[in-house]
Amino acid sequence: MLVTSALISGLALGSMYGLLALGFYVTYAVSSTVNFAQGSSMMLGAVFAYTLAVTFGWPFVPAALAALALCALYGVIVERLAVRPFARRGSSAWLMATVALGIIADNAVLFTFGKEPRGFSLAWAHGSVRVAGINVSYLQMAIPAVGLALAAGLHLFSRKTRYGKAMLAVVQNADAARLMGINVPLAITLAYAASTLFAGAAGIMIAPLFNVHSDMGTLFGLKAFAVAILGGITSAWGVMLAGLIFGLTEALITALLGSTYTQLLSFALVIVALALMPNGLFGRAEVKKV
Amino acid sequence: MRYLIAALAFALSATAVHAQTIKIGLVTALSGQSARAGEAITRGLSVAIDEINAKGGVLGRKLELARRDDEATPAKGVIAARELLFKEKVAVLFGGLDTPVSLAIVPIVNQEKIVFVGPWAAGTPITKNGAKENYVFRVSAVDEIVNRAMLQYAQKTFNAKNCGMILVNNPWGESNEKGLMAALSAKGIKPAGIEKFEANDVDVVPQLTRLKAAGADCLFLVGNVGPSAQVVKSLDRMGWMPPIVSHWGPAGGRFTELAGPSAPNVHFVQTYSFFGKQTPVGHKVLKALMAKYPDIKGPGDVTPAVGVANAYDAMMLTAMAIQNAGSTDGPKVREGFYKIARYEGLIKTYERPFTPDNHDAVNENDYVWTQFIDNQILPVGMKK
Amino acid sequence: MKAALLAAAFVAAFLFTMQANSYYVFIMATLALTALVGIGLNVLLGLAGQVSFGHVGFYALGAYTVAILTTKAGWSFWAALPAAALIATLTGALLALPAVRVRGPYLAMVTIAFGFIVEHAAVEARGLTGGQNGIMGIPQPAAFGLAFGERGVALAAIVLAAVATAAYWLLDRSRVGRAMRAVRDSEVAAESIGLSPVRMKTAAFAISALCAGVAGALFAPLSGFVTPSTFAFSQSILFVLVVMIGGATFVAGPLVGAAIVVLLPEALAALAEYRLLFFGALLLVVLWLAPEGVVGTALRLFSRRRPARRAAAEEVAIAPPAPAALLVQGLGISFGGVRAAHDVALEARPGRVTSLIGPNGAGKTTVLNMLSGFYRPDAGRIRLGGRELQGAAAWRIARAGVARTYQTTQLFGSMSVAENISIASGPESLLAFVGYAGDMDARASDLAHVDKRLVEIGRALATRPAVLLLDEPAAGLSAEDKSTLAALLRKIADAGIAVVLVEHDMSVVMGISDQVVVLDAGLRIAAGTPAEVQRDPAVRKAYLGEAHERPAAERRAAAERLLEVGRLAAGYGAEPVLKNVDLDVKRGEVVAVLGANGAGKSTLMRAIAGLHRPVSGGIDFEGRELSSEPAHRVVRQGVALVPEGRQVFPELSVLDNLALGAYSRRAWRREEIEALLARFPRLRERLHQRAGLLSGGEQQMLALARGLMAKPRLLLLDEPSLGLAPQVVNDLFAALERLRADAATILLVDQMAGLALALADRAYVIDGGRIVASGPASDIAAGDALEKAYLAVA
Repeated sequence: MLVTSALISGLALGSMYGLLALGFYVTYAVSSTVNFAQGSSMMLGAVFAYTLAVTFGWPFVPAALAALALCALYGVIVERLAVRPFARRGSSAWLMATVALGIIADNAVLFTFGKEPRGFSLAWAHGSVRVAGINVSYLQMAIPAVGLALAAGLHLFSRKTRYGKAMLAVVQNADAARLMGINVPLAITLAYAASTLFAGAAGIMIAPLFNVHSDMGTLFGLKAFAVAILGGITSAWGVMLAGLIFGLTEALITALLGSTYTQLLSFALVIVALALMPNGLFGRAEVKKV
Repeated sequence: MRYLIAALAFALSATAVHAQTIKIGLVTALSGQSARAGEAITRGLSVAIDEINAKGGVLGRKLELARRDDEATPAKGVIAARELLFKEKVAVLFGGLDTPVSLAIVPIVNQEKIVFVGPWAAGTPITKNGAKENYVFRVSAVDEIVNRAMLQYAQKTFNAKNCGMILVNNPWGESNEKGLMAALSAKGIKPAGIEKFEANDVDVVPQLTRLKAAGADCLFLVGNVGPSAQVVKSLDRMGWMPPIVSHWGPAGGRFTELAGPSAPNVHFVQTYSFFGKQTPVGHKVLKALMAKYPDIKGPGDVTPAVGVANAYDAMMLTAMAIQNAGSTDGPKVREGFYKIARYEGLIKTYERPFTPDNHDAVNENDYVWTQFIDNQILPVGMKK
Repeated sequence: MKAALLAAAFVAAFLFTMQANSYYVFIMATLALTALVGIGLNVLLGLAGQVSFGHVGFYALGAYTVAILTTKAGWSFWAALPAAALIATLTGALLALPAVRVRGPYLAMVTIAFGFIVEHAAVEARGLTGGQNGIMGIPQPAAFGLAFGERGVALAAIVLAAVATAAYWLLDRSRVGRAMRAVRDSEVAAESIGLSPVRMKTAAFAISALCAGVAGALFAPLSGFVTPSTFAFSQSILFVLVVMIGGATFVAGPLVGAAIVVLLPEALAALAEYRLLFFGALLLVVLWLAPEGVVGTALRLFSRRRPARRAAAEEVAIAPPAPAALLVQGLGISFGGVRAAHDVALEARPGRVTSLIGPNGAGKTTVLNMLSGFYRPDAGRIRLGGRELQGAAAWRIARAGVARTYQTTQLFGSMSVAENISIASGPESLLAFVGYAGDMDARASDLAHVDKRLVEIGRALATRPAVLLLDEPAAGLSAEDKSTLAALLRKIADAGIAVVLVEHDMSVVMGISDQVVVLDAGLRIAAGTPAEVQRDPAVRKAYLGEAHERPAAERRAAAERLLEVGRLAAGYGAEPVLKNVDLDVKRGEVVAVLGANGAGKSTLMRAIAGLHRPVSGGIDFEGRELSSEPAHRVVRQGVALVPEGRQVFPELSVLDNLALGAYSRRAWRREEIEALLARFPRLRERLHQRAGLLSGGEQQMLALARGLMAKPRLLLLDEPSLGLAPQVVNDLFAALERLRADAATILLVDQMAGLALALADRAYVIDGGRIVASGPASDIAAGDALEKAYLAVA
């Protein structure tokens, strides 16, 4: 029963980490930069959705969609304010600039949304089914489903649509993509929009299981970075898979050894994994050129 | 660069000294997870200060509050405390939301002989710090005493025999682990188990499952409102609902909204509740709060109530101490605290609240056991 | 001057702290400790180019060591301090084990994980560390029976920060410091002068951990407590911020950075809960204003010109201590099943210039990479004197006496010219020997192209090698510089060094070589003296391709001018690659641009297609000016480039590649694809395979078809035959011939001059960035301009 419950919760958490980590992947693939404050994007998703659905009383689905749109807009802001001005000059200060923007976002939310954690309960999510002696809420089942659906959505978008293929082209060969008439800077901006959109989706999904407050994303963002790296940041499926592995490992450590060891052990495993596989579990080595 | 200069100028003008006022310092977490609690302390102090100033202030001088954010870390806290002591030259320092921050500040105030009043942090050694001249006073719960009260309540109300602990993994949780262990071993009992969880944990089912397997018939819960709600939600999913005796964490926010339908199962300790029948002081303070803060529309918006209530009473007692001292001189103010004879306050009517041997104004007789019914914190049993 | 300013700042800080109140004492101490961590981190970040988001871990180790030893074990602070330093340093060296194996974001993650592990270990090891509530009441150090007090600790911190600053200054100028910077600037070049990147990075980790550990050790008695929350991840970010916002690599960078990171929040303290919001905003503003750090930006604003220092022309001994011949037998290597080199033999004897030539993609650089240890050969032997060198690490081969230069110069860009030489233990007079006449204190990255080449040769000579390998040293040089270079190489050989030269410029090769080895498609096809090689028909064929009959179909007279390029100049850095190129293409014409490697052909194509910007001069296409349009807009105007090396999207299917070709037109029809598949039938079978799995010839067909999907009115083809087998080349040209018959307008660049001329109506010959001949294709084929440009046959 302990292990079953851990597996179920690990699956939900893992697919959330995977979604957040996909956000790191999409921007890294096209621009070799990431939003270091990805946790803030996740928090914004939950905060926007809560504000629209609860404060303004919108129905859940339009509220969630509008929240995702706002998250995408935030992604555009991140890229324009904190990444492009530095990446253009070959400076790595985007790293610090995205952190600064994250601090601003967290604190701005603290003063506008409020300092109290809020509970975001969804009527339909309250039901549950009994699996192996424990109640599994619909939500816990919905999270991996939605997470995998979104990952599959990304996959389909990139494989089946004109713009998706254009993004893949930028990832594989930016110069050749330009020769096809693809606007590469625009593609990078859109990648950032997609990145925060994924994070926002993770935030909206976790909110009913968790609660909504201004720094709810910090630790999640960091763990998601670990996941992205473990997955070898250059492969979308690798990243999603690494998310599930990380979530399950964490849940199993918590179940079998106690939560005090969870972070200690999971981060130690990250170091060991990277020492053995310097390009992540599913990443490919870059060919050394002279 | 222009922005930088503008910001610096703003910061400087904000600290400009008003010669005639008595400065009251506050070091607490104002950002991050505990921002709400820091705000509650701010509000309690502000309402008290407004009331005092409306009556002409203390020693004929108005009081003025200077607040600093410690970001919940001791290192930031000690810098902020020093700044308030040496640069702002505050007469009295309030603060310490987190026990480690308070403990870090204690040696400084004892050395500099400035009174430090704690309206929140409940760690026992804050006031029992072993200094020959102790400048630290507290108007708040004390973990050790709360922990004894929790055990007593669990045994008396729920006839609990085998209690398990579910504690948030932070300094507060750790100090309660010590306190609960002491309370248990004083009665020769062993806990069913001790489980920790992280404030950010989404799922606490594994820890709770272990406690259930160990045969726990009652849970001691220590955690802020968010984490406490996570425990209740996880219990819901397990379909296990043992009696839960909690520290005051759930009072820190909208517990019912966060924890769902099982919220009333949690019985937690409070020093004060703005719900139910109020004393004249209670009416007065609630009215003042609603007038000053537009977001407060009723008692349900005063969260965490303990922060507001403790801070209000602490400020009032401090003003009396300064008045008694006839000066803002640290050692004299300290003596002034001992001279307080009686004060009809929010939490209770204080009779000689402080003596050289006792720097804690609130004790076990002042705790009320409460539960959330809908959005109201009500004394247990008031409503079935 | 700068040193005096820094010293004055430290003295002022010391004097201020002597008399300041307790608040300012504490602030000064925090500032000094933060600066101390920053200085250490600057060694890692600035000198060695490695990032760490886990330095709070070392800070915590130092603090906890002192806290535990002084409170629980009863040690004195003075005994605990070195223990803390030692533990931090050793942990730093230990962390380097996994850290040097990873780079970029992977390194960031390893260090983040390390910081978390330390923080959580401090929480869990409760018996030792006091758990979440930490250790309180840490005694302050005493000396000579006098308690230090906070002020004493603060003053000690300031002195330590000053000492660390001076130490950084010394390290920066020392051999080790320069070696670290060398590794950061170019790991490849560092190895080639015998430096081990692993050792340098490990040293940098250990030094920076030492600084953080010592700072932590002082923090413990200063604050009197340690708790895990003091050492949270956010503190690590602040440490990196100290270095980045102050300016990495600058001595004063961490000091200025620490001042900003410590004092700015204090200045904003009165903002209470709004402090972090303002801090974040101001941070962003400072980063915008000074993306390379405050010190770097300030130095740029206030820097003054200093007089140039030139190398003295002294006698310099470059003869190798032990002259030896390099013997290569049966050398071979494959990449992913493709044989890049096979059974290559070579003998480079002291005092001789041995040249390795061959068309593009022949495997010349691959051979050099095996000789210098960057690639591990699959087969064969490499012997220098009596030593077997195959498969040894690059830096070991370098130490054995094999030096090299690179196709794109790999100087240590952030170092001065003089440092580039002295890092390899050579005398500055080497600079005069190689003919470098510029300032010895100039930054290597700011040098003109020719000077970079010369300095790189100088650096290679500084290691006193027995063998010198040169990879296209003449590329991008002017004719005059080339002859100077040739003379220099001859002089080097005459001093007793075995010179191995890979070069496309045949006038250089033929002028100075004693022996020429010709490679084609990874195989050695000829060897001999320059004259023998020039006469060898196999060599001629490899270079020019076979002469082809002109196809029967004569061309319509073309009239309308489609593309006109006028006075086009473009380049990378100082020396322009294209100089005043005039060229035009008429509608329905096929025009070939011919020339040796490095003549500027590809740059011309990239300039027209918009990939290379900025350019000067005009590019007029159908009356529209393209010279300032970016690539994605150029293609929308109707100009499509099929780039050199094919550059298909390897992970996408053939069909998707084709569809992307039509991206600029937004929509495409199935019939268009069908029409192309009829033209390139091999693609039909592969339509749903990943393009990366296609053979080289198929990929070239795909790239061509993809270019056609844009429905261009002008098709640019850059080296379509490069690296393809002869039969495949014939197929390709047959396809191009059909395109020509369909009245496509094509501008073509190819090494296979014979084929290109058979296809083209007109041709231009480009040499050294200039058009040297032009005219009808048949005239060019008959004339001698081509041979001159390709094989330097006089």
